[in-house]
Amino acid sequence: MQSEQEFSKAEKFWMNFKLYQLWRFIVLNIKVYTIAVQSKWR
Amino acid sequence: MAKVLVIGAGFAGHTAALYLGNKIGRQHEITVISNRDVFGYVPSWVWVGVGHMKPERTIFKLKPVYDRMNIKFVHAAAKEIHPDIGNQYVLGEEVGTGREIRLDYDYLVIAPGPLLNFAGTPGLGPENGYTHSICSLPHAIKAREAYLALCDRMKKGDKVKIVIGTGHPGATCQGAAFEYIVNVHKDLLKKGLRDKADILWLSNEPALGDFGVNGVQIKRNGIVQKSDEFIKSVFNDHGIRYQVQTGVTKVEEGKIHWQNYEGEEGTTEFDFSMLIPQFKGQPFKYIGNDGSDISSKLVNPAGFVLVDGKYGLSYPELSQTPEAWPAQYQNPSYSNIFAAGIAFAPPGPISKPFTNKNNVAIAPAPPRTGMVSGVIGRVVAMNIVDLIKTGRMTHSERMSEMVAACVASMGDSLWDGNAVTIVMHPVVPDRKKYKNEFGRDLFISHLEMGVSGAWMKFMLHYTFIWKFKAQLGWKLIPE
Repeated sequence: MQSEQEFSKAEKFWMNFKLYQLWRFIVLNIKVYTIAVQSKWR
Repeated sequence: MAKVLVIGAGFAGHTAALYLGNKIGRQHEITVISNRDVFGYVPSWVWVGVGHMKPERTIFKLKPVYDRMNIKFVHAAAKEIHPDIGNQYVLGEEVGTGREIRLDYDYLVIAPGPLLNFAGTPGLGPENGYTHSICSLPHAIKAREAYLALCDRMKKGDKVKIVIGTGHPGATCQGAAFEYIVNVHKDLLKKGLRDKADILWLSNEPALGDFGVNGVQIKRNGIVQKSDEFIKSVFNDHGIRYQVQTGVTKVEEGKIHWQNYEGEEGTTEFDFSMLIPQFKGQPFKYIGNDGSDISSKLVNPAGFVLVDGKYGLSYPELSQTPEAWPAQYQNPSYSNIFAAGIAFAPPGPISKPFTNKNNVAIAPAPPRTGMVSGVIGRVVAMNIVDLIKTGRMTHSERMSEMVAACVASMGDSLWDGNAVTIVMHPVVPDRKKYKNEFGRDLFISHLEMGVSGAWMKFMLHYTFIWKFKAQLGWKLIPE
């Protein structure tokens, strides 16, 4: 069984799959920007 | 006309100065005093330290920015703070001439960044010791030179030992050290030298991936878990050995002395080492009207400025009291003095502290990253604007309410680079609001790794330098 102390083949695939990473880049930016902008109203 | 004085021009001080200049710079006198005449974008110094970025790309001159923003700039090192009513001023020493400068103020923001306490660990540091640091630009350049010389040795066939981590049992900033170790790994891999180096992570964290914030959360195989397993995977994948729960007590040439949680003492040999020192507050003199030392009213024994936090709670109490973290960063004795960034005294650690049987406290101090420092700088600036205009502060943000995003790059290539992106909300767990074992918003809080992180790191470098230069739309970019 794959130990959790090693990356599985699937994890490594998604880490380097550029289209998925582009999606994550957009999602992460929106997520961080949204929450950080809320901070400006405090 | 009110006089607002900001000590320091790093993430916190510079952000505070920009907001003050933007809001009230035309009507009131805003002054920044700093011993450096450039702004340094600290997160990119990790790339300077492996020779992947030229130092000049991480800095820019402050004065032209301040001239546009109606801010006066004084290139001097602050030495003394005289806070008593009726005679409030800061004494500084002008860089270059040594001339004494007196700056009167109505409001004071103390944001000078940390004192890198290499003296806290005998033999630590690039100046009087045997290890390197990436905590200042000159240090990062020196680390780069030593690292490249080490690469030359490896090219000749030498096998070397590299140790990277924390250089004091109470050090913070594990994230920067983590970023450096994975960049060194990636760089050696690209140079075809990785098999010549034994790389060790040596840290005071209670567990891998703690980063001084009690770990971060990651959803893996459908389960939310702490970051230790994930970081173990990173190190195992990269062939990096690790040793946590360890406080470095002394460094000799080529040898690091340490103690661990069990109280065992040991040594680790090295050819090249980058260890983050303990951070302390800047050693300003705080002097009352009668000439007496009034430091105890303003700073704790480590030199951090006391603010509106609840101090003296035990760790179990503090971890259940998110409101103990300061909200407005205002000194309780002098209401016109604020502290921002690393300068404010946190009420205690975020990660669980540990004292071993030899009475050595091995406990990471709370990190105050660029984002946290910037947010505090803005809150302080906006409250000073409030006080000047209406006499009442309306802004507040505790670290137990604040979001922070950190990107730890693992190689700078946009094609095959990599980075760990960490988002935490809040930075300090709030177990009252978030009823899970982590005390964080699990929708927002997240850790992931991939090439998108490398894109993010590049984007942040350019957008933040744009923001800190106060270019068009700078206020739209969050801290």
